[in-house]
Amino acid sequence: MTLQAYLTLAAVLFCIGLFGVITRRNTIGILLGIELMLNAVNINLVAFARFLGDVSGMVFTVFTISITVAEVALGLALVILIFRIRRTAVADHLDLLKG
Amino acid sequence: MSLEPIAFWGLAVALLASALAVVLTRNLFHSVLYLALSLTATAGLFLALDAEFLAAVQLLLYAGGVVTIAVFAIVVTERLVGDRITQTSRQLFTGFIIAGALLVALLAIFRRGPLTVPRPAVSGDLTRAIGQSLLTTYVLPFELLGVLFLAALLGALYFARPDD
Amino acid sequence: MAASGTFALWAWLAPGLAFLLLGLVYPLRRSGKPAAGVSIVFSAGALLAAVSAWRATVPEVARRTLWEWIPVEDGVLTSVGVLADADSTLMLILVALVSFLVQVYSVGYLAEEPPASLGRYYAYQSLFAFSMMGLVVAPNFVQLFICWELVGLCSYLLIGYWYARPEAARAAVKAFWITKAGDVFFLIGIVMLWSRTGTFDFSELFEMAQGGSEVLAGLGLVTFFIYLGAAGKSAQFPFHVWLPDAMEGPTPVSALIHAATMVTAGVYLLFRTAFLFERTPDVLTAVGWIGAFTALLAATLACVQHDIKRVLAYSTVSQLGYMMTAIGAGFAGAGFLHLLTHGVFKALLFLAAGAVIHAIGSNDIFGMGGLARRMPQTVAVFLIGTLSLAGIPFFAGFFSKEEILGAAWVGGLTVPFVMLVLTALLTAFYMFRVVFIAFLGEPAAVPDHAGDRDAPGGHAHDAPASMTVPLWILAALAMVIGIWVAVWRPETEFKPPFWLTPLAVLVAIGGIALAWLVYGLRVISPEWLFRRLSVIGEAAVERFWLDDLFALIYRQGILALARVTGWVDRYIVDGVLNALSAWTLTLGDRLRRIQSGQAQDYVYGIALGVLLLMVWMRWPR
Repeated sequence: MTLQAYLTLAAVLFCIGLFGVITRRNTIGILLGIELMLNAVNINLVAFARFLGDVSGMVFTVFTISITVAEVALGLALVILIFRIRRTAVADHLDLLKG
Repeated sequence: MSLEPIAFWGLAVALLASALAVVLTRNLFHSVLYLALSLTATAGLFLALDAEFLAAVQLLLYAGGVVTIAVFAIVVTERLVGDRITQTSRQLFTGFIIAGALLVALLAIFRRGPLTVPRPAVSGDLTRAIGQSLLTTYVLPFELLGVLFLAALLGALYFARPDD
Repeated sequence: MAASGTFALWAWLAPGLAFLLLGLVYPLRRSGKPAAGVSIVFSAGALLAAVSAWRATVPEVARRTLWEWIPVEDGVLTSVGVLADADSTLMLILVALVSFLVQVYSVGYLAEEPPASLGRYYAYQSLFAFSMMGLVVAPNFVQLFICWELVGLCSYLLIGYWYARPEAARAAVKAFWITKAGDVFFLIGIVMLWSRTGTFDFSELFEMAQGGSEVLAGLGLVTFFIYLGAAGKSAQFPFHVWLPDAMEGPTPVSALIHAATMVTAGVYLLFRTAFLFERTPDVLTAVGWIGAFTALLAATLACVQHDIKRVLAYSTVSQLGYMMTAIGAGFAGAGFLHLLTHGVFKALLFLAAGAVIHAIGSNDIFGMGGLARRMPQTVAVFLIGTLSLAGIPFFAGFFSKEEILGAAWVGGLTVPFVMLVLTALLTAFYMFRVVFIAFLGEPAAVPDHAGDRDAPGGHAHDAPASMTVPLWILAALAMVIGIWVAVWRPETEFKPPFWLTPLAVLVAIGGIALAWLVYGLRVISPEWLFRRLSVIGEAAVERFWLDDLFALIYRQGILALARVTGWVDRYIVDGVLNALSAWTLTLGDRLRRIQSGQAQDYVYGIALGVLLLMVWMRWPR
């Protein structure tokens, strides 16, 4: 398939992830949306690496996967902590930064 | 007829359908499962792109690790099921508009450029190439990654402490 | 040649020095009589200098520049100095003489004033003399206009000398307002003239006019505006209404300012700039017509006045109309001559009236009567002045009045000529009306107790020497001029018709006879006369409702304008500002809600920003 096909796929996946981040109430749901967005980025990187013959894209993907994993782990840990304190995981209730 | 387009289209459909399910399902636990499915479909796409190493990494870390952690987090926090979609999602319409607009913008950018490049031939073992460049050209980010994991480990330890 | 200019300069500056002394040295001003002395001494010095300046004049004009005020690239825009020729030095003598005599007279007239007020009075007198002389010898329009305004200011200060009286304060403001209206047009005219010709200087403009310069063509609007300024100051219709009210000031002030000097500034201006007006004959015709109409109008108004000063005030307006008519006929010299003679005898009349007022304590002629027996000197000089004003031969006014009538006739202003003849009749009539009522006949039934006016007078008696000496000096001057003119008839610019002199004499005598019949012998009763001319008579009593018209314009017009401006200021100007601040506050309040504290809303923002970035990047393609 053409590069454009892969890129289009990645774009759609990214937007679906963005939709999830924006709309989901539960914090864990938001994190799942983030996962989808990062996934889309990875597909993009690998597609470019493959079609341009440069392996750096794949190396970069290794990095992003690693970082994502670390981020998810810590993010979920934070969610659990917040749940312990505020007894809620709904993002709407976490509005202490309200101006 | 070549296998590749069929594989692509099948994987693409699976991926997108499961992604939509992730963001739209009311049951959070189902959401995570659908995420696992979409991550697996991504791994398949990596295989279609001749990136075997990455496919393996994807399956191990993402579909295995991340999903597991998410499940644990869901179990620990309560309220995973809502009766109506509004209990689990908010402002669906505006979110759809924003995401849709972004999609249109992205696609518009893709349409312009000369991006129909032919697929070059696979030059050698990609995994070996990844490994080599990881330890030569990109050795600095590689080391920094180690530092990052250390920091994440410390952070996780800190979070896991009991309250005293 | 330069001597004349130097003398003129000294004549001008001397009162200015007196004013500086009195203005700055507070103890001197407070002391009263010494302040008067200072002012009088400097005024005498100015008189001497003025006479010397006149004696030293030669055909060429003498200029002395005191200070080049505004230098521009090639030359000077305007300078401060003197322009001394035969006419300006003559006028200088008139101003200095009357000013000096009035100041001496005031010592007696204002003897009961508190010293601080007296010092203030003499400071103003000196300032006035300084301004008026600066106007007379001004070499350019700018200095003339500045002195013009200063003279107006002094008029305001002196009319409102007794500022505690509301009538006086109001009269001062009225004078200031009405002359200011004319002054605005005057200024516009000056600037328009400058924009045409590039100069303010009289000598340069005169040369341009002599050379028939094209630049001076089509100046109708300019000269008309300049005339409007003169009309304001010289009380031409309809701007004459301030002059009768200006009688609220002390009588010496009326003699100086509103008879001999300030009001004649307008006539003097037109006389000086006659070479400009010659280019615009239409404006001159208008000047002549308005002048004649003013003369007639004022004369009718004088016939129904009870206040002796008001009679004289309207008489002044009338005579100013005469002068303007002469100028309008194209013979400015005749007008200037009448200006000089009128200055002498009108000042005389005012000062004599002042002596009467000082003695009686009231201005009302019906409260006087039979004064001839008790104040013989005063009545004698008043009679000399009256005969001069009426235009009897061998008295000062006769020749100048006849010249004006001749000028009107020869200049082609026939209807104005008729008006002026009628006015001459009325002039004789109303002046002798005053003589018969106030001086002859029986004393009035009203006892001459202390009035509420100028001085707490007691009994009718002749005034102290400080007042009588100036009176006799002026009277003597009036007679000398009258006789000298009658014997050595000077050259006139034109040939008057042969029947003019008999006509003038006849009209004057007719007026006197009419007054004698009505008020002396009581053959014709005044009431019968009044009823016969009831329409004009009653309108005259109401001063033709002009004062009311002006008051209406002022009150309704200007105050309404002030109210509108206030409203605009409060609701529109302030309203805009208040609205802006309110909007700022509201906007801030609304914008605050973007910080909802919800992380997902911030993601919204980021997504929107990225979208906008992409659109913006893509747009130029």
